[in-house]
Amino acid sequence: MLTRRTLLALSAATVALLAAGPLAHAQSAADATGFVVNLGNQMAAVVNGPGAPAQKMQQMQPLIERDVDVDDIARFCLGRFWRSASPQQQQQYLQLFHRMLINNIGGRLGDYQGVSFAPTTTTERDGNIWVGTVIRRPNQQPANVQWVVSYASGRPRVIDVVAEGTSLRITERSDFASYLARNGNDLNALLGALQRQAAG
Amino acid sequence: MRSLLPRLTLAASLLALAACAAPPPAGDQEAQQEYQQNNDPWEPTNRVFYAINDGLDTYILRPVAVGYRTVVPGRARDSIHNLLANISSPVVFSNDVLQAKPRRAGDTMMRFLINSTAGVGGLFDVASSLGYPQHDSDFGITMALWGVGEGPFLFLPVLGPSNPRDVTGFGVDIALDPLTWASFPGSATLGYARYGLSAVDQRERLLDQVDQIKRSALDPYATFRSLYRQNRASVIEQTRDDNQATVPAWFNR
Repeated sequence: MLTRRTLLALSAATVALLAAGPLAHAQSAADATGFVVNLGNQMAAVVNGPGAPAQKMQQMQPLIERDVDVDDIARFCLGRFWRSASPQQQQQYLQLFHRMLINNIGGRLGDYQGVSFAPTTTTERDGNIWVGTVIRRPNQQPANVQWVVSYASGRPRVIDVVAEGTSLRITERSDFASYLARNGNDLNALLGALQRQAAG
Repeated sequence: MRSLLPRLTLAASLLALAACAAPPPAGDQEAQQEYQQNNDPWEPTNRVFYAINDGLDTYILRPVAVGYRTVVPGRARDSIHNLLANISSPVVFSNDVLQAKPRRAGDTMMRFLINSTAGVGGLFDVASSLGYPQHDSDFGITMALWGVGEGPFLFLPVLGPSNPRDVTGFGVDIALDPLTWASFPGSATLGYARYGLSAVDQRERLLDQVDQIKRSALDPYATFRSLYRQNRASVIEQTRDDNQATVPAWFNR
């Protein structure tokens, strides 16, 4: 039976939890924003700096590998096929995914010459911190990009990039799922396609 | 423009007879879930239209957009974009009002007035610097705010990715546009010129992104479908959450 005492105890506990929650999360929010701003500035420095595209790619790679949880994104993008894949296939897939992501980013570095970015609003959603930024490029409209930061691995890492409402993870997963559905759900077909992509 | 509506109706009825994707076998629950989530029962027909669109794009629209980007300097392209946006202001305004977003409606109205006069017919976006930000809206968003669901995915020739709600919205927007009903010597040509220029302008703004997708996606059709849906949902949510007051904060103190 819900007595007044139980109710009081419950509300006290709730208040305590709520008080603790925002404080702890406020720290993470500011921390995450700082992390994204730092990462963004480092990437912008590489893009705007001197050097050939290939050199810039080489400089970007350690940044991405360190601060973006590529494996997590890769596993998400494969969806239900990750569980049914053999350890060998999983390894191969992760390697190909890394290469594909780096290639895709590298291919676009030229478009981002002169980029600058600034943080906007940061929110928390489903245990992750969404850091909003606005990315400005010369002669282009400013773009609203949100960086989803997760502390699941202990330190902050980017697990998704949402550009104007479109999530990289969700779009990529859609792509893979559709490709697999049209190729008899054969993971080897997907691996072959990723390999061809990475090569050419 | 007036003949577009019956054509759209014809297209819609043809689609009703079109091929449907077969749902996966009842045993595979995860595949079933995926099929439901995709919400694309007309996928075979959609893919045919995508292929047609892709051909039209590769051989006609994209080269024209590339040429447009090469020949016309950036400032001029921005001015043309501003002009086209200004011409569409009445439609955006009508939708703002129907969505019960007074601040947005006010912004659109002020933009139209300021840009048409001080901005020389809309070529220069003076209103933004005066505190009236630009936004787009269409009847598809209005219907979404009224609670109409998007329905299954539709890939239409020429119009591209869409869904029953947004296609209807597109039709209503044409009816809401005063220029559709204006009849003066040369109005038809002007109408075609405007829509043609609008298509080239939009295509040029998306040149890099579309190229990137076609280069790196394993299934561009599915990628465009996903992007369209996500972007649409984001825009609708943004509009829904935009509840700014019509009067400045100091007025209420």
